[in-house]
Amino acid sequence: MTLGLALVLSACGDGNGDSGGSSAGAKSVVIAITADPLNYINPLNENGSPGIQVAQAMYAPLVTTDPNTGKTVNVMADSVTPDKTSQTWTIKLKAGNTFQNGQPLTAKDYVDSWNLTAQGSTAWKNNGFFSKVEGYGALNPETPDGATPKPTAVKALSGLKLIDDLTFSIKLKVPFSQFGLTLQYLGLAPLPEEVRKDPDSYKRKPIGNGAFKLDGDWAPGTDIKLVKWDGYKGPNAPAADAITYRFIPNGDTAYNEFLAGTVDFVDVPSSKIKTFKTDAPDGWVTATSSGANYLTFPAWDQRYKNPKLRHAFSMAIDRKAFADLVGLATPSSGLISPDIDGYRSDACKYCGFDVTKAKQLLAEAGGFSGPVNINYNTSKDTGQLFAEALGNMLRQNLGLEVKYTGKQASEITELADTRKLDGLRLSGWGHDYPSIEDYLTPMFKSSGDANFAGYNNPALDKILAEGDAQPDPEQAIKLYQQAEDIALEDLPLIPLYAKQNAYLHSAKIDPRESKYTGVQALYSTFQ
Amino acid sequence: MTRFVLRRALAAVPIGLIVTLGVFALVFAMPGDPLRELAGDKPIPAAVMAAKRAQFHLDDPFIVQYLLSMKDIFTGNFGTTFAGAEIADQLRLRIPVTLKLATLGLVFQWVAGLLFGLYAGFRRNGMVDRLLLLSTLVVLAVPSLVLYFAAQYVLGVELKWLPVSGVADGYPLSYLMPALCIGIMGFAGLARLTRTSIVETANADFVKTARAKGLGEQRILWGHVLPNALLPMVTFMGIDVGGIFAGAILAESIFNLPGLGQFMFQAIKLKEGGVVVLLSTLAFVSFILINLLVDIVYGAIDPRVRNV
Repeated sequence: MTLGLALVLSACGDGNGDSGGSSAGAKSVVIAITADPLNYINPLNENGSPGIQVAQAMYAPLVTTDPNTGKTVNVMADSVTPDKTSQTWTIKLKAGNTFQNGQPLTAKDYVDSWNLTAQGSTAWKNNGFFSKVEGYGALNPETPDGATPKPTAVKALSGLKLIDDLTFSIKLKVPFSQFGLTLQYLGLAPLPEEVRKDPDSYKRKPIGNGAFKLDGDWAPGTDIKLVKWDGYKGPNAPAADAITYRFIPNGDTAYNEFLAGTVDFVDVPSSKIKTFKTDAPDGWVTATSSGANYLTFPAWDQRYKNPKLRHAFSMAIDRKAFADLVGLATPSSGLISPDIDGYRSDACKYCGFDVTKAKQLLAEAGGFSGPVNINYNTSKDTGQLFAEALGNMLRQNLGLEVKYTGKQASEITELADTRKLDGLRLSGWGHDYPSIEDYLTPMFKSSGDANFAGYNNPALDKILAEGDAQPDPEQAIKLYQQAEDIALEDLPLIPLYAKQNAYLHSAKIDPRESKYTGVQALYSTFQ
Repeated sequence: MTRFVLRRALAAVPIGLIVTLGVFALVFAMPGDPLRELAGDKPIPAAVMAAKRAQFHLDDPFIVQYLLSMKDIFTGNFGTTFAGAEIADQLRLRIPVTLKLATLGLVFQWVAGLLFGLYAGFRRNGMVDRLLLLSTLVVLAVPSLVLYFAAQYVLGVELKWLPVSGVADGYPLSYLMPALCIGIMGFAGLARLTRTSIVETANADFVKTARAKGLGEQRILWGHVLPNALLPMVTFMGIDVGGIFAGAILAESIFNLPGLGQFMFQAIKLKEGGVVVLLSTLAFVSFILINLLVDIVYGAIDPRVRNV
């Protein structure tokens, strides 16, 4: 039940923190990150949330989401213009921006950084982002098992074209109306030429283009200390003058550090969900996390083939009770996260709790033979508890026999990927960019890279493609909603709940809550 | 003496082989793809997967992977972790942290264990003896996690005497709380063993003789009882040194000390066979050395078991 990573996209403030900027020097904030310390800072080779969180302070994206309106606003870009079909996108950069080494930020920096990442042999984690761009295949030939990918003769994506110093264009393989939204991903940050030439020797002394730079040397395994960089001319710089990211892998320890007053901001771990409001009565904040959680069927198991059976399972689940058990959660009745444009609270027809109807549907589907196996993640302390809660509902409400199998998350994912997993699993997803499309394509498109149900419906693929080719955002959302409706009728995944995240913050800061990105300590305002 | 050391070193080779092979097999047998563990639920690009698989020899058969890991260890060519950290760097940073924690933890453990044990043994059935029995029972029953978080809360959050975690306050301040916890968890065994050993020796005939000769109680304790009771205690303290590294795995992870134990914890979590074997080899070698030292100390304490 690992929720997708890389939730943290960039977001920029509305600048309201700058008004009281006269109190000098005191605006520093210590942010706890509950993860192992980073080994390098390179946004292009980073898709996990700790790395992207740090990159967010040091690098500026092309565009970002306005925290209040949720609209896309330009940061490094001056304009982002799709052609009529949304297949070729032209990006013009603002003039006068530089890297932290003083070099001007040009279109060539983007094109070359992206080509380097798209090259398979570079083996950077954001390589996959460029698979939508024309010419990706030439840079990523099939590699036989056990062999190291060799650098290809072609070094550049044929779809990336440098037009002038500040302008470049991207031609995609197929039209994609949501591409503009994806440009806010920090994994697309530019690297200056000296870093591109020898990325390894800059892995601990990154050169960014964002509001903060490293404060002195950064040794492996230690906290990351950042100070404000005066050269950042983009909009909405954070109010802080200095930021320290403290890595504390154990969530309970991080929580205790907060209570001892040594950090200003911390995530509330699952073990403290019941107590955080009394532990820090004046300093807690909650926000809906961008993500959704499901119970996933295996499409490769014939016993689950009848949609009516899946509807029956769905209606046998008391989502309210389950959300109460999860804590800080709301029951879901749709496949996308509630904070995304295009979300409909009544999208799912089979998500109400109705035992009589569920029994009837199960009977119509011809019943179910054998025990239902529910797989849960043993590395999460709540894995077994949640699986058993769902299993009990299926047992009591549908009279099914239920068994449980505990496995490590990576094993469950691997088995699901190779279509060998026996039974149901709990799963979760969080978007990389704030679009309804980023829920539907990964999980429900037949070729989706997070299609863990093994779901395949050509009708849905077709409507998704229509949405991708629809330049008008409103119209596109309508098409995507049709796709969601198909998925909800087929119900390869049962929507369960959307979770809220809770955080504690010290009295001196006031963290910002933004649309799509939730609570962010980076953009805190100061008392 | 030299022959004895050489013989022990030679005997360590096959044991080392079995230990490292066994540990590597255990990590290898853990289900799930290690690289997937690194990525969570997000898809990994095929090229990244292929490059990492090749870099860490993950497509090779078990025995080849094992031999390559051992080769890397013996040639000092440690490479990087899955997450991209230089292992040599990590060792350089982490070994001092673990040594500081272990020595301080041992000091607490030994001082408390020996003092309580000696006193309780010599004043058998006294107040301290009964208190010792009770407190060791309590300590042995409390899970270490409970103690660690309780210490963080009481000493760190409420009283603010010691830092909650991390090494930002340097040595010894940052290490006091975890070392104290390790000391509390570990002193019970040594204290009870010391007590028993003293009690047994105190009943021996030569002690009665000494007392009959009219020697003072202090002289009997320090000059006659203690030296003869020392042998099992030294054995136990040797085992303690080995055990402290095992304890460090949990303590360093909870108290966020960047030592070898925390490294081991991360490596097991990510199924990094190479790192786990490297750290096991380190632990194994130090354990062999400690055992050797204990054997040599035996000889110094008791001429009957001298190995020369």
